[in-house]
Amino acid sequence: MHAVHGTPHAPRCPGLLGLLVLFMALGACRGEERGGGPVTGAPVRGGTAVVGKRTAFGGFNPVTNTDIYTDELMKYALFTPLIQYDEDLEVRPYLAQSWELLGDTAVLFHLRRDVHWHDGPLVTAEDVAFTFDLAKNPETASLLNSAYLSRVESAEVIDSFAIRFDFSRPHAQALEDFWWAPLPRHLLEDVPPAQLRTAPYNRAPVGSGPYRFVERRANERLVIARDSMFPEALGGPPYLDRVIFRIIPEAPTMLTELITGGVDVDLPVFPDQAAQIESSPDLRLFAFPGRTFYYIGWNTRRAPFDDARVRRAMTFAIDRGAIIAALLEGYGTPAVGPIPPWSPLFPEQVQPLPHDTARAARLLSDAGWIDRNGDGIRENAAGRALRFTLLTSQESPLNRAIAEVVQSDLRAVGAGVEIQPLEFQTLLTRHRGRDFDAVLTNWVLDNFQVASAPSALFHSRWADVPGSANRSSFANPRADALIERGAAATDPDSARAIWAEFTELLREEQPFTFLFWLNELAASRQRIQGVVMDPRGELVSIADWWLPGGERR
Amino acid sequence: MGAYLIRRTLGAIPLLLGVATLIFVVLNLAPGDPTAYYVRPGVPPAVLEQIRSNFGLDQPLHIRYLHWLGAFITGDFGYSFGQGRPVADVILDALPNTLILAGAALVLVFLLGIAIGVFQAVRQHSAVDSALSVTSLFFYSMPSFWLGLMLMLVFALKAYQWGWPVALPPTGVTSIDYDFLPFWQRVGDRLAHLVLPTATLTLVLAAGVARYTRGQMLEVVRQDYIRTARAKGLPERVVILKHALRNSLLPVITLLGLYLPFLFSGAVFVEVIFAWPGMGRVIVDAIFQRDYPVVMATGFIFAAMVVAGNLIADVLYAVADPRIRYD
Repeated sequence: MHAVHGTPHAPRCPGLLGLLVLFMALGACRGEERGGGPVTGAPVRGGTAVVGKRTAFGGFNPVTNTDIYTDELMKYALFTPLIQYDEDLEVRPYLAQSWELLGDTAVLFHLRRDVHWHDGPLVTAEDVAFTFDLAKNPETASLLNSAYLSRVESAEVIDSFAIRFDFSRPHAQALEDFWWAPLPRHLLEDVPPAQLRTAPYNRAPVGSGPYRFVERRANERLVIARDSMFPEALGGPPYLDRVIFRIIPEAPTMLTELITGGVDVDLPVFPDQAAQIESSPDLRLFAFPGRTFYYIGWNTRRAPFDDARVRRAMTFAIDRGAIIAALLEGYGTPAVGPIPPWSPLFPEQVQPLPHDTARAARLLSDAGWIDRNGDGIRENAAGRALRFTLLTSQESPLNRAIAEVVQSDLRAVGAGVEIQPLEFQTLLTRHRGRDFDAVLTNWVLDNFQVASAPSALFHSRWADVPGSANRSSFANPRADALIERGAAATDPDSARAIWAEFTELLREEQPFTFLFWLNELAASRQRIQGVVMDPRGELVSIADWWLPGGERR
Repeated sequence: MGAYLIRRTLGAIPLLLGVATLIFVVLNLAPGDPTAYYVRPGVPPAVLEQIRSNFGLDQPLHIRYLHWLGAFITGDFGYSFGQGRPVADVILDALPNTLILAGAALVLVFLLGIAIGVFQAVRQHSAVDSALSVTSLFFYSMPSFWLGLMLMLVFALKAYQWGWPVALPPTGVTSIDYDFLPFWQRVGDRLAHLVLPTATLTLVLAAGVARYTRGQMLEVVRQDYIRTARAKGLPERVVILKHALRNSLLPVITLLGLYLPFLFSGAVFVEVIFAWPGMGRVIVDAIFQRDYPVVMATGFIFAAMVVAGNLIADVLYAVADPRIRYD
């Protein structure tokens, strides 16, 4: 499952979140100290770490997977992708030891000769080609294909450890098309592609990464263990003997487990839990920029949002800074477009529209919306009131709270908002079917390729396609041209300039009111060392986690 | 009795099929589909269509119904869309956990409820009676998720922080090192993990049983045959436990059939709060994901358990009351 509309972050029982307040109040009186502070010294081998996680993992198959945490676990623990990212989000060699770019239409990868499948054989170019073909096969309906391989046309095995990929057209960030791991051909070649999603392999995978799969109990736990064969050049075998993932859906319960030492790492944490975690000497809070932004999507095919002035007025009227401060406890970054602030291609010079109710009011008056009958709500010349329905997810307390802030901000400039919280699937059906005035929801980036989100969300090619992601039906020839030029730009500087121009265009047109980028929050106990979390994910350093000798369970 | 049981069981078949059909229709009328929940937003519509076709969702509704019914009757529950494995496996993983939890709670609910009810009836109008009445109403009117969190707060979190000799494990079925424990410690570990979720379920429902039992007992002990029993010199213990209790149990047995659905739905909340990997969590996830085969199968199993619960209640009537005969 993917955090499209905020549901995975939402507790299942409405109102439970409120109980956190009570937990916090009572948590203030702490007992004796247990566990140590920060530890220095060289990492040592051994021990078991326990990670608490809200939702269950999907099937462990890079070709058919759709869940973001499962993806992370496969990329950083169970499998060996062709490339990895370093902390500056630059591509670094991984399974591919080196590469040669053949002009801007092909790449030749030389694979490592020391990465093993956990059942013995070496990982070869045949495995990579096999996985590529599966992903490209329409019958597997692979998201690997849509997220990474849409501009890669074919794969050719040169020898067991060399493979060449040809691009359908030159494009930016071409090496980043290969941030995925191969599957073992010797175990999966007999599975019909249409049944890959239900293959028993996905429940008990044989991987190639620093950890090997040990055991999985549905809705309960996943156990992975150190692979002692993992090559030193890629960091060597992990320090920990085992990592156990436990599935704990409720936030207050998870916090209890973290405080009492039942789990070492808590993914994710809610903003209103952050203060309590920070004040606890046993615990460590991780706050890092994430891949999720929240926005209000306007239906540009429906009055009054078919007028860019009205959309811009809405953005001026909504106090996004106050939302970040009050509802996210500051754990958010103002957003101006779909390119994340941590991306090397982020256009720093384009600032979000400020919160300015006077300009909002002026724009609405210019567009013909004036309060003609003195009821506090503006009307147009035909007498239609500026009232509309804002849809959002009923399962997410955060979404509902934001919607209420938006409602009161817009009331102040004479727009009447009716909030309609909907069950996730109903919301998605209405949003996809373009049956809405405005939707408050979020978007999670699939990958670090900057062009992905703009082309999915704002290219006119998708404006009228049911089920596609351009649900605001935004159609602007200049935007199309910029998206295509940005996707094709192989030089970072020119790409940055193109995306700056695109972001400025979005700022004028406001098909979305971009609210904020969510800062991801997670927590760990002090005893666990070597934990790094950044935009690459919560598990990026899982092979380097370690426990000091006296802190073992 | 045997013929009666067979008749009742056969009679339940059309009922259960009707229930299953109803679930099928309602589920498919609800907006959304299984591809929506766990598919990334940027996926082109053509890929979604392919996934739907792989799931067989491109067929018209009545064809899907016939396919499903045909497979279902032959015991094939199909594949879970969300988990990518047979529904039977999904259920076999989860059902034992729910049965353990609900079974332990069911036994405790009636033992505790009846014991308290009888005690209160015997000591009617005493201070203990009033105290127990207030206490049971207190638990009776409490939502189970709230009670669960409070119990966890006190007996897991605070017990740990205040250094009580025993701090109960807040979540899960077993500890993470369960597999490495000797046998008796394993038993202890399982029991320790059962305490909080079972207590949550039990306290809320036992309060109701206690109220019922007390009311019934008070009516029965006023009847003439009880006075006769006392007059002929039977010890009070025998009068109450043998003569009075048996007669006042009939309505309480009716409760058993009625409580089973409560117990299972209560278990849904309790399972989520205590991270108990049972059917409740499977159902909740499946409904959110529109994982049709899993919702169908779990809905059917819950319906079957409710029917079975009522059947058990009917059999127990005959045990409690010799006048009731099923021929």
